[in-house]
Amino acid sequence: MKGLRKYISPFAPDQSGAAAVLCELGGLVIILDAGGCAGNICGFDEPRWFESKSAIFSAGLRDMDAILGRDDRLVKKIAMACEKIEGEFIAVIGTPVPAVIGTDYKALKRMIEQKTGMPAITIDTDGMELYDVGAGKAYEALFRTFVGKEIVELGAQEEKNKRMESDFRCLGILGATPLDVEEKEEGAIRDFYKRQGFDQIFVYGMGDGLEAVRASVTAEKNLVIAPAALKTARYLKKQYGIPYETGYPLETLPEWEKIVARIPELEGKRVLIVHQQILANALRDRIISRVNAAVTVGSWFSIDEKEKKEGDLVLKEEDQWISLIADKQYDVIIADGLFERALSGYEGEYWSLPHFAVSGKRKG
Amino acid sequence: MECQKICNHKTVIKKEAFSVTAEELVSIGKEAIPEELISNKHLIYSSPATLAFNSPGAQGFGVKRAGLAIPGSVMLLVAPGCCGRNTTILSELGGYSDRFFYLMMDETDIVTGRHLRKIPQAVQEIYDTLEKKPAVVMICITCVDALLGTDMERICKKATDKTGIPVLPCYMYALTREGRKPPMVHVRQSIYSLLEPRKKKSTSVNLLGHFAPLVDDCELYDLLRQMGVKTIREISRCEDYEEYMAMAEANFNLVLDPEARFAASDIRKRLEIPSIELTRLYQIDKIKKQYALFAAALGTQIDDDEYYEDARRAVENFRNKHENITFSVGEGCNANAFELSLALIQYGFSVAEIFASIGDGDFLYLEKIAKLSPQTKIYSNLEPTMLYYDCSESPADITIGKDAAYYHPDAAHLEWSDDVQPFGYAGVRHFFEACEKSLKK
Repeated sequence: MKGLRKYISPFAPDQSGAAAVLCELGGLVIILDAGGCAGNICGFDEPRWFESKSAIFSAGLRDMDAILGRDDRLVKKIAMACEKIEGEFIAVIGTPVPAVIGTDYKALKRMIEQKTGMPAITIDTDGMELYDVGAGKAYEALFRTFVGKEIVELGAQEEKNKRMESDFRCLGILGATPLDVEEKEEGAIRDFYKRQGFDQIFVYGMGDGLEAVRASVTAEKNLVIAPAALKTARYLKKQYGIPYETGYPLETLPEWEKIVARIPELEGKRVLIVHQQILANALRDRIISRVNAAVTVGSWFSIDEKEKKEGDLVLKEEDQWISLIADKQYDVIIADGLFERALSGYEGEYWSLPHFAVSGKRKG
Repeated sequence: MECQKICNHKTVIKKEAFSVTAEELVSIGKEAIPEELISNKHLIYSSPATLAFNSPGAQGFGVKRAGLAIPGSVMLLVAPGCCGRNTTILSELGGYSDRFFYLMMDETDIVTGRHLRKIPQAVQEIYDTLEKKPAVVMICITCVDALLGTDMERICKKATDKTGIPVLPCYMYALTREGRKPPMVHVRQSIYSLLEPRKKKSTSVNLLGHFAPLVDDCELYDLLRQMGVKTIREISRCEDYEEYMAMAEANFNLVLDPEARFAASDIRKRLEIPSIELTRLYQIDKIKKQYALFAAALGTQIDDDEYYEDARRAVENFRNKHENITFSVGEGCNANAFELSLALIQYGFSVAEIFASIGDGDFLYLEKIAKLSPQTKIYSNLEPTMLYYDCSESPADITIGKDAAYYHPDAAHLEWSDDVQPFGYAGVRHFFEACEKSLKK
């Protein structure tokens, strides 16, 4: 039945994706909910929450706030918080409640900016889409708000030109959130690209703050490591001429050594990789560069048409997943362990490739 | 590159967590509690300190786990995917992995309500899939259906008629948390709603309120037996569905958590089983008084002297060893933070801070605390400035509750939040034994 999940629990929702992008940027992040969504985001999808004090709040909506659409009360609460909490901007992240009552996010943004004098971004997530959709919306809002023309005019372009002349190389990494990248991977990714000759690496939203976003036009190029950030990379290319490429530094995966050691076993096999598209594509490329295997990529998350190969799968329903595997098309599945719960009759090999946005489990 | 900041808003921020002393709070009065201590007046800071109790589905017995209290039950969560996200954690807890199912809503469902038409078929599919057939299917719905005004009772009835399986609604409406019937009140009513009238047994009693049993050596069991009670039922000790249904034969219900009052009232109306409420207390004199009043209400007498003495000795032993100890008490524990703090202060200990929302009736405790320990600070866990809480201002030797532990990482910690419930003298005894263990660690 469409929508019914008997084995696979829900993945990280859009609101978690948006919060993951904004969590470390020094703003006041407000989840527009009654409390449960903020609890889910902070308690489950945001591992950094337990290690650092981030200003993530719940709007604490109550039934009458929703029924009467009392945005003015929300703005008053936000203004009160701004008087006591240090922050560079205000971000409001949507949930199912504002989706049902039809909150006007543009108006809300204007009201907040007017009342507080601080820049605000509003993200119209609704809890029904997946994390990549929310992360994508957050990246876009973030870069559109903080990489304005005035910033370029203030010297970023000159700075970039100076750096180009001096061979100083800066790389922007888009798409890194704890939902895709384990925290220790972030350091490994920086080291990986430093070894490749980059002097400065901005990992937006993970390790680097708002200053890096503002300085993003100084990057020589952007590397997109998850489909969530593709739209923003295209925007930055069009608007500021920053080229981008897609790819995933597989060597930084905690389980990479185990996987790479087993690649020869895939000779002549039919392999299905299920993950976020860019990581899965990178793994496919690595496999087919070493062995003769038929490798298909599937994803429950965004599949970008330009990054897709013929036969790649867009997964939507649990029933679809069960039938697909029951057709015995694959000798080896490489995916998060959660999906295996639904495959009681599968006789092939199952290689675990954890994905936090799926099972909430760390890698390695 | 030094980028100029777009943001021109800069006011001087004190970076200080808001608190008031008990004395200040009482002098202001309950009609003028500062907005910082009233959760619906400010944004909610869901810090790690509060996750255990502030999110309706987060940890402990939230609505989802509580809804599965009926033996042999399974749950279908009909909601946007975000509402079921943390259930992965619950599923991994013993016995839950095959008990949660999801019917995920999309935007079209919100507009058309078509998800409701799928529920009977989904229930049937779940039933057909499971080798061990469920006794009941709980349908858990969330804020979305609260706003849509879904008549889930009717839909559950339809599903029952279609499938022949009892189907019950369970409301995880975070939006109504401060309303007349919050989710944890509603779920307590739901889990007893399958009980049907039965012939009463004068020697049978139910304990209502908790989703896990009282500690095995709780004196309440013995005191009830002294009163002639032979069968004491708690939903968490029911082995199977039949034993659960036998709760309908009780002569009276003992309500041990105020959130079960609605359930008790509903049972009284439907099954004509009256109820009496007992409060969990840590002041042993008050426990004694409450038991005496309870026995008097039933026209009988009890002898609780031995239990009283045991508890008193436990307090004394602990005090002899740790006379000058300072507690920091949170609300994420099996106690009312204010009542527990008052008890500790009365026993001669120091309570530097209380982290808790002020509920109805807490001012009675606060007034006494203000007299005995006027400088005890009161914080709201949920207030945004708790982001700036600094434990060096009020050092504590031991913290009670997960929340207080978060604020004082270097102190001894007693979470005191096990599923199994402390109560009465046994609760006091175990509490001080557990404090002793925590301090020894």
